[in-house]
Amino acid sequence: MSQKQRDLLELGRLEYLQALVTEFQVTESPEAKEQVLANLANFAYDPKNYEYLRQLQVLDLFLDMLTEDNEILVEFAIGGLCNLCLDKTNKDYILEAEGVAPVINCLSSSNEETVMSAVTTLMYLTTPQSRQQTTALPVVECMLRFSLSANRRLSNLARIFLQDYCSPMQVEEARNLSKHTAVGIPLPKD
Amino acid sequence: MAAPGDGVGGVCKHHAQQDVCDSRAKYREGRRPRAVKVYTVNLESRYLLIQGVPALGVMKELVEQFALYGAIEEYNALDEYPAEQFTEVYLIKFQKLQSARVAKRKLDERSFFGSLLHVCYAPEFETVQETREKLQDRRKYIARATSNRVHFVVKKIQEPKKTVSKNSEHNFQPETLGFSAVDANIGNWDPSACCPYQPSCEFSSRNTACPSGGHFQRVLAFPQYVSNCAETSASFCQSKPWTRSAQQGGYTNTPVSLVLQRKVPSDNGIGRFMPRTTQLQERKRKRDQGNQIDFIGIDSDSTKVIIGPQLPEIPKVDMDDDSLNTSASLIRNKLMEVAVSVPKSFGEKPEDTQTKRSLKQRRRI
Repeated sequence: MSQKQRDLLELGRLEYLQALVTEFQVTESPEAKEQVLANLANFAYDPKNYEYLRQLQVLDLFLDMLTEDNEILVEFAIGGLCNLCLDKTNKDYILEAEGVAPVINCLSSSNEETVMSAVTTLMYLTTPQSRQQTTALPVVECMLRFSLSANRRLSNLARIFLQDYCSPMQVEEARNLSKHTAVGIPLPKD
Repeated sequence: MAAPGDGVGGVCKHHAQQDVCDSRAKYREGRRPRAVKVYTVNLESRYLLIQGVPALGVMKELVEQFALYGAIEEYNALDEYPAEQFTEVYLIKFQKLQSARVAKRKLDERSFFGSLLHVCYAPEFETVQETREKLQDRRKYIARATSNRVHFVVKKIQEPKKTVSKNSEHNFQPETLGFSAVDANIGNWDPSACCPYQPSCEFSSRNTACPSGGHFQRVLAFPQYVSNCAETSASFCQSKPWTRSAQQGGYTNTPVSLVLQRKVPSDNGIGRFMPRTTQLQERKRKRDQGNQIDFIGIDSDSTKVIIGPQLPEIPKVDMDDDSLNTSASLIRNKLMEVAVSVPKSFGEKPEDTQTKRSLKQRRRI
């Protein structure tokens, strides 16, 4: 570890995260942006950091990145949301900020990691209040198709979503609907 | 149920080692070079895929190496997995996710019999039920971690954020209650979801929670083993590939029955790590026992009974291994022979000092 790095770590968690956010905002390099976003998303895995990430409005940062064109940024941002959305405060914040819609949009990404993070995020964001939104008909329909995917990880997640978060009625309804419509949201490539 | 596709037993994109990132700013550099990657609960798994194992028949050594980090539930070679020449690919399933995490961190990129291991998570080998449990464990973990946290914050910061954190604390309880009720409603699935976290009970509660057996693909996820739901419920009790592979490794678990094994996961002694101090204590205990027997007068080596008190012999060291004990006693006998022969050849002068010295040395031993 370099001396400089040690100094920076001693600045403390908040300052370090602040440094990351600042770099993310000021940097011109798309590469650095991706790296920093990945850093932040990985920090979002540890509940110790939640308080700081909220202070630094990293949740908004993640939500903003969901609508980027760069697929890597989207993948990292939804990964970050997936990591922190179980926390009650974070969950409320995301629901309040109308975060469900952009997460649902991620289901139609061609990047399979993005899709899987989105499925898990939707499960974790489901509350009695948000259920209407997170298990809307198009979502259930999407999960029905994912559950037939050759990708075992994706099909497992979709099955859990259908079995644990949707009522049999909802699944039936979606099944009937998908019989009539030929086109849906395409499956992610590999 | 979908046919097992390329997700199982095949190569996944996330198995490939990504290039290390060398363009990081100085302050973001870690101790070890790493690729740019975000880990989520979806990428983690109790299953580890180990690539780059030299094809030298070192499965036992490999499994022992991994067992240092936690109990292993299953392991097997993935013969069909494309590997580099002269290397093999193995799949190891830990009992706990945390063990897999530590093992991956410690053993990825480590040298093993002259080649570098590449260790990665292999969540595509999970069954639906295993994935479900993984997601629920994360939910429980966050609930525990953040509820502690909230109390802590409330205690610590009294002045400025009082309202915010207090609010969140108040909201927290009703929400978790409400949500587990929802889980039970829609899911009608897992009774353990409402219970407090009880790792040791999980296996048995899982058994009762799954009457259909549909999610119990205990089989080792080779495509040819992954049959349909109906079959798996039957094969659940047999699960031959598993027990066979467990025996092969020379591990001490007796293949009683899988159900039993699962109910007492902590007792099956698979690859349990025994600290050195424990081993030493055990050895000392055995030695003491041996000494006692000597005092009583029953020679443990010969069966003849000696009447009357016997001088305590030099304590015999139990090496915990038959072959070691044999060689130890051979050496001991040889020394005895030499010791007996020394007084006979006492007359000679030049050897005299030498033999005396060797005698002393032996005493020191």
